[in-house]
Amino acid sequence: MTYHLLLFILVAAAAMAAVMARSLLLSAIMLALVSVGAALILFDFQAPWAAVFELSVCAGLITVLFVSAVSLFRHEEGKTADLRARFYAMPLVMGIAAIAAWFYAVPFFESLENWARFGSRANSLGSILWDIRRFDLLGQISILAAGVFVINSIFPRRKRQK
Amino acid sequence: MTNSFAMDWYFITLIFSAGLYCMLVSRNLLRQFIGLEIMSKSCLLGVISVGSLTGSLALAQALIITMIVIEVVVVAVGLSLLVKNYRLTDSIDIWSLNKLRG
Repeated sequence: MTYHLLLFILVAAAAMAAVMARSLLLSAIMLALVSVGAALILFDFQAPWAAVFELSVCAGLITVLFVSAVSLFRHEEGKTADLRARFYAMPLVMGIAAIAAWFYAVPFFESLENWARFGSRANSLGSILWDIRRFDLLGQISILAAGVFVINSIFPRRKRQK
Repeated sequence: MTNSFAMDWYFITLIFSAGLYCMLVSRNLLRQFIGLEIMSKSCLLGVISVGSLTGSLALAQALIITMIVIEVVVVAVGLSLLVKNYRLTDSIDIWSLNKLRG
């Protein structure tokens, strides 16, 4: 229980650090830390498949994508007219949100728990993924294909001018 | 002492609001993506928390795997659009996106 809560606190702190960090590279690394924390939470929830996916894809691949994008825009970092005061005000805003959520959201979530106990029939990942949600897999494949198509159309191969 | 489910969702709410705040206050497009990622992480944690509560962890894991795949595609396409926009406008400010002319 304590370990579980500590992981959630780690993820929340890393999310805040990712938002508040002045450097984009630090933001990307903190986002990777959020992913690692989320993967640890998934392991703690006895969900190793999702955790491995999260760790390899989100903490690995997406971080690589972000870091390579940051390396492209590094010299642009200071040019956007972000008001730093808004980022420095974040702990205050989050503190107010945390206090408000403690008084209003927690009782709501406690009542929600009583409503959430259904849909516990099928319990094998393989049967769900391959039998029940086969249509989802088709959707995933088409989304991947759409992503490849979009990237291909955004960056077309340059034709040599004669 | 509140129960574990409510505490999980309390922190999920906070993580989501951190991502939302990032998207609201930043003008840097890359930071907006980071905010979006943080929000999607909180949704992922919400799905697994409810899956654990209802005893349907396998269903929750299947949904999360679907979500992660879509997330990767969204990030890849979004970043490529960002790079293309940077080449065209020489800026990653979100206000540079006001020149769409068909």
